[in-house]
Amino acid sequence: MKKKYALFPGCLMPTEQYAYELSIRETLPLLGVDLVDVEGFSCCGEPMKSVNQLLTLYLSARNLAIAEKHHLDLFAPCAMCHMSLSETHYILQKNPSMKERVNSMLAAEGLSYTGTGQIVHTVDLLHDHIGIETIKQHVKKPLTNLKIAAHYGCHLIRPSEIGRPVNSEDPQKIEKLLKAFGAEPVQDYPQKLDCCGAPLLANLPESALTKTGQKLQAIQEQGIQALVDVCPWCHKMFDSKQTKAGETVAAKLDIPVVYLTQLLGLALGLNADKLGLHLNLSPVEKLGLKEGK
Amino acid sequence: MSIIDLTSMGASQSDLRNEINNRLSKLQDEISEYCYQCAKCTSGCEAHKLLELEPHKIVALLKRGLINELVNSDVIWTCMTCLKCRERCPQRVAPVEVLFALKNMAVASGKQIPGKYTAMLQSILTMGLIQDIQQISTRSNTTVKREDLNLPPLSKPVDATKFQAGIMKIAMEKI
Repeated sequence: MKKKYALFPGCLMPTEQYAYELSIRETLPLLGVDLVDVEGFSCCGEPMKSVNQLLTLYLSARNLAIAEKHHLDLFAPCAMCHMSLSETHYILQKNPSMKERVNSMLAAEGLSYTGTGQIVHTVDLLHDHIGIETIKQHVKKPLTNLKIAAHYGCHLIRPSEIGRPVNSEDPQKIEKLLKAFGAEPVQDYPQKLDCCGAPLLANLPESALTKTGQKLQAIQEQGIQALVDVCPWCHKMFDSKQTKAGETVAAKLDIPVVYLTQLLGLALGLNADKLGLHLNLSPVEKLGLKEGK
Repeated sequence: MSIIDLTSMGASQSDLRNEINNRLSKLQDEISEYCYQCAKCTSGCEAHKLLELEPHKIVALLKRGLINELVNSDVIWTCMTCLKCRERCPQRVAPVEVLFALKNMAVASGKQIPGKYTAMLQSILTMGLIQDIQQISTRSNTTVKREDLNLPPLSKPVDATKFQAGIMKIAMEKI
């Protein structure tokens, strides 16, 4: 059966993390997912939570209302957006007077939030909704000889109170997906649940980079060969800013970092350029992956 | 409409401050009842390792009602929102939520907003997103933009005026 979702791009993916969007648009339709582009979405609001929490709530509810207006469930590939939308849903379901207040503000744009729609992220879309077996059936070029560790990202795994797509202390869904792609996941490493540093980019960029550098350095010292992520913020830190992050910890970092959907695409036999692999700034050629055509 | 309206110490901000005060009072009550200062939050805190944030102390200070001191302190802006404190507290206290409320209060009190928050908010007001399309480098040092990659147009608010009016309402609304 075809699964249909409104693609909620957020801010970072459609304005600079193009590799994630390219690989999502190339791969998911091959697995029976219909991605619908919807006009009018805005920032999820999470980046403004330190400034005004009500603004975050309003922006998230607004985006949920737009998906509802089109009678579509919503697919948010960014862990931060997914968390913000899920938390807003959680709060508004528990608090009818807040829901009423937000809806009175949404009325100006002819919108209304009821909370009927589902919110999914890349990991649960692949693991729970498409399913490991279906993915295995579609794999044309198994990623043999690829040993790779998973970074889930704080906002994907916590807080479990609001409902997250993976277990908060021992997430394993990405590892299971990697196995389905024919790769060999690094089962666990001490820093697996640690932050990428991105939330500090707004006001303490040096500290943000230090956080990134420390995690990557620890990974490198353990002999882990590559890292896979599922959030444009995490990827911006680990891939786009890897060289700078290395400078903050006085280390020469040299770790290929890829999006999960890029690996999926290679396993499905797609061409590397179509998956935006030329846009990764980390040394992905070290992966030695054979691409399809 | 500008950023100033949202963050100034204008009359409308007193309502916002009242609302945040209520939120802080509620958090203070919860903390007084539940937090027993085990410091599990601080033991896992990502910002503690790097920037010496101690969430259990923030909680203790709020319990004593030292809100002004906290609001005026730079340390509240070191939280990385990793959410480990909220996840792992044995008493279901969420120091990260205390920090959000304190930062909101700092902004509503007219304190200078650090870093790029102002620019991001301005960008959201103008075009709905924290930034517009960026030109990026490839690994082979060429540059590309969204349109070079055959990606569809950005999804953003269609009627910017209506969208802005909604946001401004949040700042101006009487509680």
